[in-house]
Amino acid sequence: MRKMTQLGFGARAGGRLAAALVGAAMLASSAFVGAASASELTVWCWDPNFNIPAMKDASERYTKAHPDTTFNVANITQDEINQKLQTQFLAGVTDGLPDIVLIQDDNIQRFLQSFPGSFVPLSDSIDMKKFADYKVAAATYDGKSYSLPFDSGVAGLFYRTDYLEQAGYKPEDLQSISWDKLLEIGKDVLAKTGHPLISMDYNGDDLIVLMMQSTGQWYLKNGKEPNILENPALKTALETFQKMAQAGVIKSVSGWTDYTGSFTSGQVATVPQGVWITGTIKSVPEQSGKWRVAPMPILEGVEGATHFTSNGGSSWYVLASSKHQDEAVDFLKTVWGSDVDFYQGILINQGAVGSLLAAREGAAYKASDPFFNGEPVWQNFSDWLAKVPTVDYGTFTPEARMAVRAQIPNIANGGNIDDALKAIDAQLRQQMQ
Amino acid sequence: MSFALLRRGGVYVFLSIATFLSVFPFYWMAVGATNQSPDIVRGKLGFGGNLLVNFQHLMTQVDLPRVFGNSFFIAVVSTLLTLIVSSLAGYGFEMFRSRIRERIFQLLLLLLSIPFAALMVPLFVMISRAQLNNTFTAVILPGIASIFIVFYFRQATKAFPRELRDAARVDGLKEWQIFLFVYMPTMRSTYAAATIIVFMNAWNNYLWPLIVLQTPDNKTITLVISTLTAAYTPDYGVILLATVLATAPTLVIFFVLQRQFVQGMLGAVK
Repeated sequence: MRKMTQLGFGARAGGRLAAALVGAAMLASSAFVGAASASELTVWCWDPNFNIPAMKDASERYTKAHPDTTFNVANITQDEINQKLQTQFLAGVTDGLPDIVLIQDDNIQRFLQSFPGSFVPLSDSIDMKKFADYKVAAATYDGKSYSLPFDSGVAGLFYRTDYLEQAGYKPEDLQSISWDKLLEIGKDVLAKTGHPLISMDYNGDDLIVLMMQSTGQWYLKNGKEPNILENPALKTALETFQKMAQAGVIKSVSGWTDYTGSFTSGQVATVPQGVWITGTIKSVPEQSGKWRVAPMPILEGVEGATHFTSNGGSSWYVLASSKHQDEAVDFLKTVWGSDVDFYQGILINQGAVGSLLAAREGAAYKASDPFFNGEPVWQNFSDWLAKVPTVDYGTFTPEARMAVRAQIPNIANGGNIDDALKAIDAQLRQQMQ
Repeated sequence: MSFALLRRGGVYVFLSIATFLSVFPFYWMAVGATNQSPDIVRGKLGFGGNLLVNFQHLMTQVDLPRVFGNSFFIAVVSTLLTLIVSSLAGYGFEMFRSRIRERIFQLLLLLLSIPFAALMVPLFVMISRAQLNNTFTAVILPGIASIFIVFYFRQATKAFPRELRDAARVDGLKEWQIFLFVYMPTMRSTYAAATIIVFMNAWNNYLWPLIVLQTPDNKTITLVISTLTAAYTPDYGVILLATVLATAPTLVIFFVLQRQFVQGMLGAVK
């Protein structure tokens, strides 16, 4: 831009001087083209304690091997990324877009399907078998995968050993149990210690999602049709939730602050959640040694039920409009796609469990964590990661979740579940029209 | 006697509750800025000793002078331009007769009902075609002809004494001189009230700057605060301190112009 202005000035000056200036400007611009291989890749992602330092670590590794490539990692919230991408794709204007962007898994299909050709299909150049299946599936559209799968939302049951011990339960009692069994434990814990079993925001459906995905079912069938009325996993999940709410073992919280506060302040006995909550749990050093992690309870009586599920998690995408596509892809491939050592670092520093399956062979993954009573929690999570059932999030997952959330308070209060399912189905169908 | 007293007491109770409801969030914000994140989550109500630590953390994450500079530039320029353009339009609508005047005005009011989200994409295309992406001009320009402020000035102008204008004409003033030397000084309180409204809107504007500003060094304080809240484990002390700092300028402007604001809202012309 600046170079253009100079050129304009030169032309106006007229005569030989102009010719000389134009010549100089052309020389300068050819020098600029030559230096274009010294490129800066722009990355958009969120959270200065999690994604951003992980990305910075990765970029430093790449710059060390390729000094010509530098990175500009911008801190932009998830909502803002969605908003900006949506507007710019709709407007067909790409000049403000970054080279690499982070997008949450249950949100990517709407971009892939609504704006085909906006992202680079990474499966053309990167072997997707190296990553957890369910992560790759989330970003696969029309036979191609577009994501470099990053942080996993693989979930576990975090629990307070001291509270459970007071109620007469040992760690063994929480291995391979069902949600119904957990409810029984929760009643005991509440009666003997006064601590509720879990906390939940009744404007959220995290618990339902965790239960449902563990069976390989989702709110949508093949990502397209609503899968509400004929979905035994959803029905059982809602019934289980209702039983827990009615038994009084759920502490109702409002908002994220209240939610995290409920366990950092030691009110609840367990936290069923994605592995990314680890950082928040460990943010209270005084609770070190009081926590452990068990596999998720199973949704008994539902076909395909497992102990493995996921909530949240996001992945990296290269935008097709990027002027440095090849470098961006090469960067993701060499660091995020194969550097096992790098994954050890972000696990230790950020508690980020990646989706690269080979990463679990590294030392950090095998180490045990004193905060969790010396359990090899990372090894466990990465074992569970490979077994999370694949589901198709489709384009209407946000709408489906909204519809479910609207019914959660009613279900908690003992409302009829079949009626609630009908209401969810109706609202979702209306939104999908 | 007892009835009047009772009624008076009732009024005071009601006013006290209303005051509490409007002041408490500010108190909470100020208290939060001096506390550590875990204390805020626990609901601590007293001032703490963490203000400087929060400030340090904020300074390491955010280039405060730059961000405030951006916000101030956008808000001040927006306010000046909006007041000039929109007050001229409001004055014109009321003072000059034309056959289609009311039609155009009705059309404008109708446009007021279109949500910004619907205008955003076409607006963005326009800005990009004009190569204004990632410039402050792109943030300021679309807001200058504010229909609401035009409407507000037209309403206020209804109370402007025509005799003043006629006298000025007799004295030989040109139309622009009448506007500049007679209308503007007379409508001081209206301008003051409009300043508060426009400045606050420009200062707090979020969605449009978010879309058009691309690089971190162009960010405004509202965008930065939103970024601070996005962490999986947010530091509420830092966030509330940033909020306090971001609220201060609008508070100052409001208190400085408060008297005129109230008059302007009442539509008084001196």
